[in-house]
Amino acid sequence: MSFSAGWYAVAIAGGLEPGTSAGTRLFDKELVIWRDKDGASHAWEDRCPHRGMRLSFGFVRGNHIACLYHGWQFDEAGQCRYIPAHPKLDVPDTIKVARYPSVEAKGLIWVYSEMVAEAPVPAPEDGAATPVRSLYLERDPATVGFIIENGGAGPFEILSDSLFATNVEGAELLVALQPFTDDRTALHIVITSGDIAPAKIAVWAEELRAVLETVRPISSGDALLAERFAS
Amino acid sequence: MSIVLHDYELDSESYKVRLLLSVLSIAYQKVAVNVHPGQEQRSPSYLKLNPLGTLPILVDGETVLYEAEAIIAYLAKAYDPAKSWLPDDPAAFGKVMIWLAFASRDLAAANLARLHHMLEVPADAVEVGRASRAAFRVMDDHMTKRELGGASWFVGDHPTLAEIALFPAIALSRDFGIDHDEYPALRRWMRRVRTIPGFITMPGIPDYH
Ligand code: FES
Repeated sequence: MSFSAGWYAVAIAGGLEPGTSAGTRLFDKELVIWRDKDGASHAWEDRCPHRGMRLSFGFVRGNHIACLYHGWQFDEAGQCRYIPAHPKLDVPDTIKVARYPSVEAKGLIWVYSEMVAEAPVPAPEDGAATPVRSLYLERDPATVGFIIENGGAGPFEILSDSLFATNVEGAELLVALQPFTDDRTALHIVITSGDIAPAKIAVWAEELRAVLETVRPISSGDALLAERFAS
Repeated sequence: MSIVLHDYELDSESYKVRLLLSVLSIAYQKVAVNVHPGQEQRSPSYLKLNPLGTLPILVDGETVLYEAEAIIAYLAKAYDPAKSWLPDDPAAFGKVMIWLAFASRDLAAANLARLHHMLEVPADAVEVGRASRAAFRVMDDHMTKRELGGASWFVGDHPTLAEIALFPAIALSRDFGIDHDEYPALRRWMRRVRTIPGFITMPGIPDYH
């Protein structure tokens, strides 16, 4: 039951500035997303091959990301390039960070939820979009998806299990759901058309969050939910 | 006349004062208080300086002050002739005061959560965690809207005491198990705070080199 492997938005692309990193979760798996100095973004397993610390706590230096703990540095391909304790060492090829397929499209960073060399399904298509914000909800992904699909948070067009469109004051919005953990969900909101100040949509977004968090989590025995996932 | 700060290195309240003293380039003398395990801040001699038995305590000549927000407001009044950290403009002043009150009241839960995790100070871990997240969300919502409006700081177009008072709790939140993953606007804001001339860290807040 619940969401299947696929492409999920994990962040507003413009919110990840060059030379910075951030942590996030997809199906409770820890990811580091980071943008190198040249502007390319990367989505990796958030685990340093050295002692397993979160790489998202580290910092970006040029086109490398450095682990906070002992300073190991990794290049854009995840390959370890430098170990401060052994500066002269030619680092073995086997010391690598596991990576996820990722793309930027419609103002969002999308990650394929499995650590595969290439995603088996096409990545989301690009398109014009104005970023608004991400919401982090204290509700499980199935409940959030269920409420949105069933009109509990206003009218939404259902584009997929994790992708919804709606219209707010004449602006078309895309709302992308990120199954964060078993009990938390992120929603990433961009404007795809219409002339409206993103700050206005940000206020709408806070109201959406309040509505979605009012609803109690749907228990797994819920008849409607069972029906939805019957196939 | 010299300024004396009674300080505890691991105390996030004391850090607020050290941070402002540093960005204002004010020379001072630091007295290390044995808070853990000594509880020296509650000794009779310290209770004479501060009946609340807390740190930090600032002594500037005849003036003895405690409560981090009061101390940083005093320092801004006394040592920031440009009035940039505590603006004179009534509206901007009022807005900074909102965040100073927020820092001492709403972020008290974060302070307690951290002390609970690090020094086993008694607390309801679930409740202080929940309250901390609620406070961080208020800050992230605010900074999200500020960024969408083209602003970079909590109030106005330059850093104020709001930055000094709000930074420690969120920057130290990993000490009590709250990641920054869910606060993207605060993550960007924290990077900006780090660029303030004179910025210093404390244990638990990594130096980026
Ligand atoms: S854990 Fe990353 S360098 Fe040691």
